Amino acid sequence: MAHLAHYREAHPLPMRITHWINLSCMVLLILSGFLIHFPFWAALTGVARGLHVFCGIVLLVNCIVRYVLAFLVTSAPTGGTRNRIRDYKTWMPQDDNKHQLIPWIKYYLFMKKDHPLSAKLGVPQKISYFAIGILILIMAYTGFCLWIPTSEWTFFAAGTAFVGGAMSMRIIHYFMMFVFIIFTMLHGYLVFIEGTANANLMFFGKEHGGLVYDPNRHVIVGEDHSVDQH
Amino acid sequence: MVTEAISPEFLSKLEARGVSRRSFMKLCGSLAVAAGLSELAAPRVARAIEDSVIGAESGGLYPAIWIEGASCTGCTESFAQVDAPDPATVVLEMVSLNYCETLSAAAGWSMEEAKAQTIEAGNYILIYEGAVLEGWNGEALRVANEPGTDHLVHAAENANAVVALGSCAVNGGWMGANPNSAGALGVQQYLKKQGIDTPVINIPGCPANPEWLEAVLVDAILVGKLPELTADNKPKVIFNQTIHDNCERRGHFENGEFVYAFGTEEEAKGYCLYPMGCRGPQTKANCGVVRWNHRRSWCVASGGPCIGCCTANPNDPGENWVETNTPFRARFRDLRIGGLVVQPEAIAWTLTGVVAAALVIHGFGMKKMGRTDGGADFEPIREWDKKHPNESIGQYDEEVLKGGK
Amino acid sequence: MARSVIDPVTRIEGHLRVEMEVENGVVSDAWVSGGCFRGMELVVKDRTPEDAAHIVQRICGVCPVSHSHAATIAAEKAYGITISNNARIIRNLIEGAQFLHSHILWFYTLAALDYVNPLNALKANVGSAYDLVEAAGTSCQSDLKALQERLAKFAENGQLSIFSGNWWKNGQSDTEFKLPAELDLIATAHYIEALTMQSKASEVCGLLGGKMPHVMTIVPGGTSFVPTEEKLDDLWSLVHELRDWIKATIIPDTKAIAPYYKEALSFGKGCGRYVAWGVFERPSFALADRYLPSGVIDENLNLSEVDVDLIKEYIGHSWYVGDSDLNPREGITEPEFTEYYKAGTLREENGHEIGDINDRYSWSKAPSYDGKCMEAGPFSRVLAAYLRGNEFIKPAVDGLCADLGLTIPQLQSTLGRVAARNIEPIYIAECMVEWVDELIEAVKGGDSEYFRTPETITGEGTGLWEAPRGALLHTEKVNNGKITDYQIIIPTTWNIAPRNAEGVQGPLEQALIGTPVADVDMPINALRTVHSFDPCTACAVHVTEPSTGKHFETVTSPWGVK
Repeated sequence: MAHLAHYREAHPLPMRITHWINLSCMVLLILSGFLIHFPFWAALTGVARGLHVFCGIVLLVNCIVRYVLAFLVTSAPTGGTRNRIRDYKTWMPQDDNKHQLIPWIKYYLFMKKDHPLSAKLGVPQKISYFAIGILILIMAYTGFCLWIPTSEWTFFAAGTAFVGGAMSMRIIHYFMMFVFIIFTMLHGYLVFIEGTANANLMFFGKEHGGLVYDPNRHVIVGEDHSVDQH
Repeated sequence: MVTEAISPEFLSKLEARGVSRRSFMKLCGSLAVAAGLSELAAPRVARAIEDSVIGAESGGLYPAIWIEGASCTGCTESFAQVDAPDPATVVLEMVSLNYCETLSAAAGWSMEEAKAQTIEAGNYILIYEGAVLEGWNGEALRVANEPGTDHLVHAAENANAVVALGSCAVNGGWMGANPNSAGALGVQQYLKKQGIDTPVINIPGCPANPEWLEAVLVDAILVGKLPELTADNKPKVIFNQTIHDNCERRGHFENGEFVYAFGTEEEAKGYCLYPMGCRGPQTKANCGVVRWNHRRSWCVASGGPCIGCCTANPNDPGENWVETNTPFRARFRDLRIGGLVVQPEAIAWTLTGVVAAALVIHGFGMKKMGRTDGGADFEPIREWDKKHPNESIGQYDEEVLKGGK
Repeated sequence: MARSVIDPVTRIEGHLRVEMEVENGVVSDAWVSGGCFRGMELVVKDRTPEDAAHIVQRICGVCPVSHSHAATIAAEKAYGITISNNARIIRNLIEGAQFLHSHILWFYTLAALDYVNPLNALKANVGSAYDLVEAAGTSCQSDLKALQERLAKFAENGQLSIFSGNWWKNGQSDTEFKLPAELDLIATAHYIEALTMQSKASEVCGLLGGKMPHVMTIVPGGTSFVPTEEKLDDLWSLVHELRDWIKATIIPDTKAIAPYYKEALSFGKGCGRYVAWGVFERPSFALADRYLPSGVIDENLNLSEVDVDLIKEYIGHSWYVGDSDLNPREGITEPEFTEYYKAGTLREENGHEIGDINDRYSWSKAPSYDGKCMEAGPFSRVLAAYLRGNEFIKPAVDGLCADLGLTIPQLQSTLGRVAARNIEPIYIAECMVEWVDELIEAVKGGDSEYFRTPETITGEGTGLWEAPRGALLHTEKVNNGKITDYQIIIPTTWNIAPRNAEGVQGPLEQALIGTPVADVDMPINALRTVHSFDPCTACAVHVTEPSTGKHFETVTSPWGVK
């Protein structure tokens, strides 16, 4: 097999849970958001408003929890190994990623035949996952600027005034949702385009055999198919 | 009209002899009665002697000047619709409205004279309706052969307070909307530019609800203080909640009962106008509470979705109700990018569509390259490592470095 | 020779300057200058016709309904929509209520103070005043004694409020206010009653349109107002109350006051040509068939049908670049202010600074029909209806003329214009009573159509309509739901037009020539003449969108104008 093995250590249980929460909250937020934008399913609009605020807060808390977990939980620094390091380090630039941004881009532009070697997260992934955290925070901020119970708080009212009123804030909030939608499309595409192994691991903790990687030498050192279920 | 030019001199002579202004006026009254005129002639007699066109400078009424800038007179009209107290009571028993282009009996020189005398006497409130126009050095609005801006400056400098009445006075109103060809802006911003620090009370609305003006006048005149204001200098009790907060149709909003098209049964039932683009949820005013035209109705009650006419940022003419809220029937305003006028939804969906299409095309590429089933084979050695064997990150086996497996 | 200036002209809508040359106590030449430029047509460009119907109302706070209506008709023409019967009646009612509001306000609040001196009412004998009420056959809902006491208290306080700087010359022999004190008292009572009645008329607009000024429910396709039983009930009683008061008051007051100002029949004629586009739709939706029909009337009072292609606007004496004379649908204009007085001609006269008036002296343009300036207004409408033999207007005008001892051509004067237009509100009020019944019948009969959705959103349309103060034209081009071109010709633009290309004065300027002025500082007869045209100058000044290129440098961002 041509890919690194997928071991649970890459996505330990707390990360799989926060990922589930992220996914469900984002889907519910997007659906309820559209319903709030225009009540095309009238009977659900009341529910949608409550759900939107609830999911928004859960997503925000989850986002913070995930950041904290990054410092508490250990995970594998790359695929193909069961070694673990502090999770936040896998978000940081790693030796395994050095000089790999250009090859990644070339690979996806079909200018490079082989799959670039990498750490658990590819370079574009690291950038986008880091950005999504900030996006969630901005989204929560703009959301609170629009939510009547909090919109008058100085911290939020100042932001509304800065962008030019509630209408502009609503448009920003709306545009940000599309950033999420586009992110999710890209994320899902990149995960699934090369098979379901990644998703099976992240969603269900199902391991998958493949190349074994030595995180100390930063090279592939062999192959392991013992975890494959046939 | 220029009858006697001796008035100040004459008055000071009288005062030097210990005769106060007030007793002089009384004397004029008795003189008039003695001359067989009714007492009403007192102000006229006084005028003949001291060249006053506003009558007494002091009295039971609070002096007021109402200037129309670049206005449609809608706020004056709106004021004329009020019934508690009615306009006649206001101008006969509450304020001495010495200058009001729509109501004043005077015209021309004597009209301007009335204003000048009121300003000179001081202790008055200025109500300014309509936008301030800076276009052509203020000549976009000309009154008495002077730019409108000069009239505002003169009247505001000496006033106790300025009421910027209506969205136009607050920030230029619709005139501030693209392309703002007359250079419209609000009173507060203009006075700040001119370094005039008279307090400004902003009462937006197109037109302003007359009850709002009366509330402010009652505060200023009867209570003797300015009302509590928001950060935008709008009266807090009126503009601190949204239309939506106090809407009579709010229950239907909560129940998910909506009007989706004009003239339907849902409208007859009084359902919520949210899908018709109602701006109630983001417009701050208490229209639904004070209502309009003798509390007979208001926009939403008549089937007209709120168009957010109270939207007015006093510091930014661009954030006016037209620019912020058109198209009124859509949920968002249009964005202007260069000459392109477009809805945010169109931009967002187009972008999303482009990305989706790109991914599909990319997916075909991936399939053609045979990467969809597990991906391409991993590179045995990083490109960079290969080119920089001495600084290589990976510690590869010899055979890998040689290119074999 | 002396100069007489009225600036600001008060008790009108908007900003107007009137400057006159007075020779031997009579006006020999006049210049009328519209004082404000706001740029409405530019604002509605790139917005939807639905938005425009809301926004263009803001041209005028006195006649917003008419602008909304004309804009809506223009959009419906562009979309090819004919509105439903219910929508037609409801819109007629909103428009009618605005006409009543405007006419009551104009006569009693704006124009009356040119003829009535409320402070003189203090001298009235209340008993005789009540006798006079009866003799004049007018109504009186007020307590005249209480009113007189109220005025006395006001006078005693000494502050003149809205009467500051008045031209009444109380007690002086050269006063041009001639009513007996008792009539002044009655008229003052009606001045105050009228404030209530005009607000009741607006209440009808409020009921059907959400609020007045600036109604909300006239939308391209029909109306967003849907009547309920409760609303119909309120409507019925409001309309009846209004009709009763108007019928009992306006014409009797007119007839009581007119005899004291008969000299005002001898001046103020104007250009003697009239335009009316017609207002209040009948089911046929034809201009000539409207309740108040269209008509173009020439110097000999011959009526012809309207041809929009004959309308042009000349800008050579206005503050715009160039001197084009184009149909509004092709208009290209760019505002550019130049001084009002010619440089170096300023001088002091009678304590005021004056000078020689520049070639360009107004923000208002000069419209023409078939090359000639025209008068628009209620008087034009009444004449058109009269000449078409309207079954209400014709006998009413004949009756008025008989009572005042006039012929129809003699009505063409300051006082005649005032008297004739006062017939209109009675007719409209009577029509409204009919319309309410018609609407109730329709609703009872199960007709529930109020709004029609357009099938196409591209096209061109012109809305010909009437504001209370005259013929109103809105024309627009719409592409895919967005306005690409919008033009407006407003009644007062016709009336306050500056000189045309041949140097011929505009209608109001012509009407002022020949007006007697005894006191150049208080030219009351000139003011009466100006008011008889009921100017609405905020309406009158506007600009057509340059069809080629942008003339305004504004920095735009997606968030709007900075």
